[in-house]
Amino acid sequence: MADDGENVSVMTVKEPLDLIRLSLDERIYVKMRNERELRGKLHAYDQHLNMVLGDAEETITTVEIDEETYEEVYRTTKRNIPMLFVRGDGVILVSPPVRVGV
Amino acid sequence: MSRKEALSSFIQQIHGRPVVVKLNSGVDYRGVLACLDGYMNIALEQTEEYVNGQLKNKYGDAFIRGNNVLYISTQKRRI
Repeated sequence: MADDGENVSVMTVKEPLDLIRLSLDERIYVKMRNERELRGKLHAYDQHLNMVLGDAEETITTVEIDEETYEEVYRTTKRNIPMLFVRGDGVILVSPPVRVGV
Repeated sequence: MSRKEALSSFIQQIHGRPVVVKLNSGVDYRGVLACLDGYMNIALEQTEEYVNGQLKNKYGDAFIRGNNVLYISTQKRRI
């Protein structure tokens, strides 16, 4: 068996949380409930998907309906947080960075 | 085959297969099932995110937290 951190490229993902473990110290994308998205460097996580993200950017998407045209207007608000603790129950999806050369 | 065996054999069969994962929110994820665990946490490869049937996003790998999962269904062929 491959050791933690060694032979990452040949290390097979045996359980879903391995995917998160392989993303430690990398910038990840997290899709949260309530139309929120986070991007940040994954410092730590646990089995609940509680996470500590460094240099995090939060993107909040809101939909407003134009009162005259009834068009849906999507508005995104961003903010930066140097260090962020995320409670796991709000997490929907975690995606590692796009690996170059795959 | 007992009912429990039928479930675990389904889960074994779908490893490495293209699947559709539907979340409670109605969002669909199509991709190749890498693995899943007892919480129904799912690791997908070559993931495509569909909202209202429209492709919204692609992820190389994606981890989906099990509590959001409505169902996992097999997909004959990628669309």
